Amino acid sequence: MRRILRYVGGRLLLTVPMVFVLLTMVFVVLRVMPGDPVSAMLGGHAPQAVIDKKKAELGLDKPILAQYVDYLGQLARGDLGDSMILKEKVSKPISDKLPATIELTLCGLVVCLGLGVPLGVRAARKRRTGHDFGIRLYANVVYCIPVFWMGLMLQMIFGVFLDAFPIAGRVGSRVVSGEFDRTGFYIIDTLFSGNFEALGDVLYHLVLPAFTLGITLSGVFVRLTRANMLDVLKSDYVLASRARGVPERAVVYGHALKNALIPIITMLGLQFSALLAGAILTETTFSWPGMGRLLLERIYLRDYPTIQGIIVVYALFVSFVSLIVDVVYAIIDPRVRL
Amino acid sequence: MKRFAVAILMSALVLAGGALFAQGTLVYGTTEKVTDMDTANAYDFHTWEIFQNINQGLLTYKPGTTEVIPGLAESYLVNDKGDEFTFKLRKGLKFTSGTAFTADAVKWTIDRCIKLAGDPSWLITDFVKDVQVVDPLTVKFILKGPTAFFPTMVAGCPPYFPLDPTVYPVDKVVKDPSELKDGALVGLGPYKATSFKRDEEVVLQANPGYYGAKPKIAKIIIRYFADATTMRLALEKGEIDLAYKSMNPSDINDLSKNAKITTFKLPGPFIRYLAFNCDVSAFKDKVLRQALSALVDRPDFNQKVYLGQNAPLYSMVPQGMIYATEDFKKALGDGNVALAEKLLKSAGYSKDKPFAFDLWYTPSHYGDTEVNLAEVIKAQFEKTPLVKVTIKSAEWATYKQQWRDKQMGVYFLGWYPDYIDPDNYTAAFAGTNGSIGNGVFFSNPDWDALFAKEQQSSDSKVRKALFEKVQKDWTVEVPTAPLFQGNLYVFTKKNVAGVKIGPTLIFNYNELSFTK
Repeated sequence: MRRILRYVGGRLLLTVPMVFVLLTMVFVVLRVMPGDPVSAMLGGHAPQAVIDKKKAELGLDKPILAQYVDYLGQLARGDLGDSMILKEKVSKPISDKLPATIELTLCGLVVCLGLGVPLGVRAARKRRTGHDFGIRLYANVVYCIPVFWMGLMLQMIFGVFLDAFPIAGRVGSRVVSGEFDRTGFYIIDTLFSGNFEALGDVLYHLVLPAFTLGITLSGVFVRLTRANMLDVLKSDYVLASRARGVPERAVVYGHALKNALIPIITMLGLQFSALLAGAILTETTFSWPGMGRLLLERIYLRDYPTIQGIIVVYALFVSFVSLIVDVVYAIIDPRVRL
Repeated sequence: MKRFAVAILMSALVLAGGALFAQGTLVYGTTEKVTDMDTANAYDFHTWEIFQNINQGLLTYKPGTTEVIPGLAESYLVNDKGDEFTFKLRKGLKFTSGTAFTADAVKWTIDRCIKLAGDPSWLITDFVKDVQVVDPLTVKFILKGPTAFFPTMVAGCPPYFPLDPTVYPVDKVVKDPSELKDGALVGLGPYKATSFKRDEEVVLQANPGYYGAKPKIAKIIIRYFADATTMRLALEKGEIDLAYKSMNPSDINDLSKNAKITTFKLPGPFIRYLAFNCDVSAFKDKVLRQALSALVDRPDFNQKVYLGQNAPLYSMVPQGMIYATEDFKKALGDGNVALAEKLLKSAGYSKDKPFAFDLWYTPSHYGDTEVNLAEVIKAQFEKTPLVKVTIKSAEWATYKQQWRDKQMGVYFLGWYPDYIDPDNYTAAFAGTNGSIGNGVFFSNPDWDALFAKEQQSSDSKVRKALFEKVQKDWTVEVPTAPLFQGNLYVFTKKNVAGVKIGPTLIFNYNELSFTK
């Protein structure tokens, strides 16, 4: 246990320089980019004196280094700052939008694993058959498809031509989310409020965006699961199990898959950042009111504090997920802790 | 798969159920965004539209027209000089919070707006010197000078709409209704806001205490879409009842032909124009400004870029507005290459030494068609070998900074009026102060004097003569070149009626209704 705690402590310490480097890059890039948040904020008609006053008020007239030190001080106090455009705490829009993105990402992850792992296992079991060939072809094709294109295609086929699923938003147009929204996680909110009609509607709206994300990333897991399963299925203990007459299903799912899952869990941590990046594009395609859309809008408006805040939250979130994955990995494979 | 089948089944039930309890609920889709939920700081088309339905002015517009009629005030008097307006308020009105509406609320609102100095505060501070409470139901506006169009500002500009002093903070702009006492927007309009989720939904319910025509639809849900294509699909699938602002030209074309959709095409006071930097660029020379204006072929780009959906504009004052002329058509014409070449040669340019310049556009602020507009205008300019154009673009924040920094010589801009008067289409661009804000940097003392005169005059003959003169002179000085006047398109399901959006751009939701 002590070793695991020491391992977790070490991983947490590594998060600090990672966020620091990322934040420094974003801070500098934003300020050397053309575009002025004060002009964006005040509209086109403010006199120069008003602009200068506003810049001084926001600290934008200071040297970049001084602004950077101020911002780090602010972050150290746990304050992400104030939005320059909407003049509200940056944490407000982030806390409003983050649950939508997490909900979508987690559902995408479920779809991704739900498709990738079973298909990978099947491909390994049916090696060099039509099944194997078909599944590998699927994995290669979806791996190559950009997530926004996948979204548009699913939207056109299942949303427009077949009219089977909604194409935009988190709830139906006639469902007022304000009536049940408490945490921002609509699945949880509708469950706890006992509003099962709204729950059905929420799940219905999640189908296409979650499948868009999940299918696109499932190719990696198909290939990884197949490769690992092929190795494991050749192991002596699998051979021994079969020789003892253990049913094939139990051999594959009870013994082989458990061992093949270790690299898959590692990949899961690495792919989480890809899922979040995919969520940004998917949110735009499906008018999903999450962090991705917020980030894009604020980039256009040069809202420095909000952009920086979103990057920090993304970085922390990815680090947190990676940490959990690593801890799970360390628990199930003691060699990692050595 | 079974789980998904269950989810689909459940959703079908939800939708079926929705259809039953949706009686009296209209879902309105838009790609616009709400900004600050405070009349003292919001300065954008869509947020104003919401305010125009949950609040009201002392005066108001007759729906779909430019006729100013009594609003929260039953009458008003103007002194002879035209710089004092005294309003008699209606008796017994209450805000949706239950607070009685009095003259104190009117004064408090104006004073607050001045104190907060938000983006639209100039609409008050440029005109109003003081507001005095004469008695609980009488309030007097003392202006800085005679202002002929003051009633239109009181009727249409939300900063003038009275707020409840017991609900709104006096020293802070309200970003989100959750910051208010009881967490809801409070007003005196036909609707009250009951739910607000930025970029997702705004829910309005009929205000039972409204003094005027009662809304015909009990609940209006405004849904926010990230893009026009998704909004179009939602309308075609019946997920929304009405879509307004902004569809792509191809979507407008397709929806107009859709038998299940009703199209309302309305002339709007939104204009687009080419702005010239008249101060530091090559365009300091008005001959070059005239030459480029002559080369613009309005019917051509309107057809190629907008599929004929807008109207060519030949004056900064849009057609349909009082005193509007079409002087650019007469003086410079469309695609007038011969005149342009004559002007360019007089300025010293030739085939060997063409007039080379950058034409700037912003790729998303005015929609996806902006790049096409820039390409077509470039081709029109280059119909003469005496002109060589390089197209450049910058995102909106950068674009605005560049026009302030005088880094762009000629660039595309658009204009939604603050108030419905030709003054707002002329002085805002060619008056010395307004011109700086729009990056035109044009200054002419004679024109400033003319604008001051028209602003102070309440004699329509005098104002007509002044505006006709300035529109004629515009073709000589060409501080800007008018391009087109935007038409507004509202698409609804067949059972929606009552869409009335006049030249004021005010969309009165209480006129909407469902037909059988």
